[in-house]
Amino acid sequence: MKGTILNFVTVIAMLIAGCGEETVNIDVMHDEGKPVMALDYRDFDVAASELVQSMLGSGALKKQGGGRYVVATGRIVNDTMQRIDTDQLMAKVETEMLNSGQAVMTSAIGSGSDKLIHETRELRDSEEFDPGTVAERQTLIAPELTISGKIFQRNIRYDRNRQQVEYYFQLKLSSVKSGLRFWQDEVIVGKRGSNKSVGW
Amino acid sequence: MKKLGLILIALMVLGFGCYQPHDKRVHLREEIRSDSLDSNIVTRPVVHAFSALLGEGLEITEATTRRNDADLLELHVSGFNKSFQTKRFRYRVEWLDNDGFLIGTKTSVWLPMSAMGKSPFSFKAVAPKPAAVDFRMDTRKWE
Repeated sequence: MKGTILNFVTVIAMLIAGCGEETVNIDVMHDEGKPVMALDYRDFDVAASELVQSMLGSGALKKQGGGRYVVATGRIVNDTMQRIDTDQLMAKVETEMLNSGQAVMTSAIGSGSDKLIHETRELRDSEEFDPGTVAERQTLIAPELTISGKIFQRNIRYDRNRQQVEYYFQLKLSSVKSGLRFWQDEVIVGKRGSNKSVGW
Repeated sequence: MKKLGLILIALMVLGFGCYQPHDKRVHLREEIRSDSLDSNIVTRPVVHAFSALLGEGLEITEATTRRNDADLLELHVSGFNKSFQTKRFRYRVEWLDNDGFLIGTKTSVWLPMSAMGKSPFSFKAVAPKPAAVDFRMDTRKWE
């Protein structure tokens, strides 16, 4: 009798486990999933798209006399309660700046810098490398513009059961030489939901 | 009773006769502007119900393009929300080059937009590169 009950319970448990939510791939092109309180990829897509369109539309990247600006990525501060890799925003922005044909990004300096650019220059005295293949001195191009920004969050109690979470995406483009700001904009992503769901 | 009806109709006709259209660029919403047939406290529920029955929604009145100072194509879309409800929707603009090929860009994503009831709306999109010569736009319901 005991064995029969145990077998029955085991079968039921297996059936329940089998009925669990299956994992599916997200259709990132036309995602119709419900919004979440935390920032997800859709929020970054919207913020990056609106900021890039604002920047390109402003004409701030149009260089007088032609040519392309050299742009370095400065600090993007994450002042949210979430652990965010700010590259989630900046990779898209930088890609579009490059693709616009109006700017080139530098990897020599800034938060998007590539250590190897400097490390390979330390090979000048190495006997293992052909000196003709090592980058010469004074070949790096200094940036003319920097892009920096901030992502921050505000949590507000909306009513007894709901909270409002506001995310601010701010970017600014400044001239290195003059320190003047050529462009800046802000995109707000707001969410309202249950107090039980957390925005971080 | 018949006389009262006639007086009411006469008052309404006189009321509309006194209505002076304002500058079309300025939009006055219900409860701000003077009453009209669709905003009158008596007729409003009927008109709203009729609008919902007809399934009135958004209408695009104009989609124009121009080249901006940076030689990028700009799309300006204007429309009107014919319904009495605020319509929330998403739109996505795709850009096409001279050969009709799609230009790959991270900016072609579903962007949120909303239009208040019986109100005009407009938005702007900027092409990602000068190679864009045409566009296509799609809309979908805001989930």
